[in-house]
Amino acid sequence: MGSIYGLTALGLTIIFGVLKVINFAHGSLLMVGMYVAYWAIVFTGLHPYISLIIVVPVMYFFGFYLQDIVIKPIFKAEKDVREPITVIIVTTGVWYILDNLTLLIFGPQYRGIQDNPLRGKMIEFGEMMISVPKLWGFVAAVITAAAVYWFFQKTRMGRAIRATSLDREAASLMGINQFKVYNVAFGIGTATAGIAAVTLVPFYNIFPTVGVLFDIKGFIIVVLGGLGSIGGAILGGIIIGLIESIGPQFMTATWTEAIVYGLFLLVLFVKPSGLFGVKYDW
Amino acid sequence: MTRQNINRFALTLVGVVAFGLPLVLRSPTYLHILILLYLYAYFTTSWNLVGGFAGVLPLGHAAFVGIGAYTSTILSLQYGVSPWLGMIVGGILAAIAGVLIGLPTFKMRGAYFALATIAFSEGIRVMVENIDYLGPFKLNGPSGFQIPPKNIGLVNYMFIGKEPYYYIVLVMLIGVLAFTYFISRSKLGYYLNAGGEEPEAAMALGINVARAKLIAMAMSSFLTALAGTFYAQFTLYIHPKSVISLDLSFEIAFIALIGGRGSIAGPVLGALLLRPVSDFSRIYFGATLPGLHLIIFGTVLVLVMIYQPRGLQEPLTRAYNRLLDKIIGQTAQGKVRHEYS
Repeated sequence: MGSIYGLTALGLTIIFGVLKVINFAHGSLLMVGMYVAYWAIVFTGLHPYISLIIVVPVMYFFGFYLQDIVIKPIFKAEKDVREPITVIIVTTGVWYILDNLTLLIFGPQYRGIQDNPLRGKMIEFGEMMISVPKLWGFVAAVITAAAVYWFFQKTRMGRAIRATSLDREAASLMGINQFKVYNVAFGIGTATAGIAAVTLVPFYNIFPTVGVLFDIKGFIIVVLGGLGSIGGAILGGIIIGLIESIGPQFMTATWTEAIVYGLFLLVLFVKPSGLFGVKYDW
Repeated sequence: MTRQNINRFALTLVGVVAFGLPLVLRSPTYLHILILLYLYAYFTTSWNLVGGFAGVLPLGHAAFVGIGAYTSTILSLQYGVSPWLGMIVGGILAAIAGVLIGLPTFKMRGAYFALATIAFSEGIRVMVENIDYLGPFKLNGPSGFQIPPKNIGLVNYMFIGKEPYYYIVLVMLIGVLAFTYFISRSKLGYYLNAGGEEPEAAMALGINVARAKLIAMAMSSFLTALAGTFYAQFTLYIHPKSVISLDLSFEIAFIALIGGRGSIAGPVLGALLLRPVSDFSRIYFGATLPGLHLIIFGTVLVLVMIYQPRGLQEPLTRAYNRLLDKIIGQTAQGKVRHEYS
């Protein structure tokens, strides 16, 4: 579970690292991804994980055009602001629109995949029982993080993205089209949310407000791991996941939630740049 | 007639209408809607003190509503303290909480503060939902409190009929508007403005931006908590999901943002425009199209942020000024001072 939190947070941290804004609609994007995956699986009868080949491109272009149409005008209007609060507000608006539009179209009922080959499957690992879809979630998280890291380090577009994230004015002087970079970064962030959605679908219910849960967890994780740090996002996700799964052994499950929030505020007080964050100006 | 006279006349007219409305409007449903409208205008105006003037984005004001509502309710139900007194205690507690969140986060930029306020208010909600007793105080977990409508009277902040509540919230709203006006003309207001627009430049001029923001945060959370008590006494039922919900926090912020942050009229305008939308869409489409008002909210918010980042008050103020120009017959030769905001 923690690694899926990590995957969600990964998308958030990519978008933050480049655009310098927290994407409040990220949980909703995850929700959209889950619905896309759900319908892809229901209509085509594919194995849940194969729906990735549909979900990832769909989500990539969804994010790409969301940024292009909704968020870009604000960046154009507020050229010299480094962390435009207005963008946060707009993504919150997008969150509300997406969640309630889904509610309007698909209704409030919980959905899950019928005749699911992965439901309730476990493997024994010494004395532990590990749920197969969660294990695949972990694998997916690690592979995605590695792939994103490779993309940022080795490809031309990745370099452009990193340059823009360091200094968008200098980057655009070097001939990088910063808005295209933003679109691509947003698309990648959304696509990772899509991957997280696919790994969630086999064992999690799908409903219009499912994103909110992951949204707030995601914020906590990216701050814990350090805003903009890819490894930090995955590790932060695993930490939160561990707290949530070990915690209930010692106390009621709802209390662990309180501990997570407490931990978050503690990190803010003690080391606001997070565990792996770079310690400059934010 | 001069511009000032017209402004004064318009304000008086609005005041007279607002105070006289319950005499004409006898329907309790409409009074209820109006009371909620004023309450939201109050919330957004006190939100605006920190969210508008200080240039940060607090998204957890429901926590202060909750602190206010719970403190006064617990004190009055379990210790027989008048809610008026509990209201002040709740306000002070909320101010302390506000300073505690602001302390680590105001020195950082942008998103941290927004995230910290969300985490704080969600943390408080989870705590309240899980704790039955906090020391000697009974919190009652997720079921909250039902306030029994006995001991009716002014001392107990409890009345029959909606009219007294109407006047209380109206006076509160006028009070907070006057306070905001006063702050915006004070040294603190200028500090906040400077710190919100250009933190580096403000700091270079020797302004302690973080301190100014902290003061604004304390005032804002204090005022918000006062209305929390009003909410508890008006609805007579509070539970964590109603008073400390994230939805409430977001709604407050949304309305203020759509109306126009950082201006005095903006948040009230936002409430005036959006509350009826949400009330009536809930009344007429609540069953068939759930969540419609939130879609409208979100769409309006996105559009306003793209095309009018300073909120709807800006074009409306401009239109108002143009209207005045026409009435007075002045030509706009740059001598016209657009003071009204």
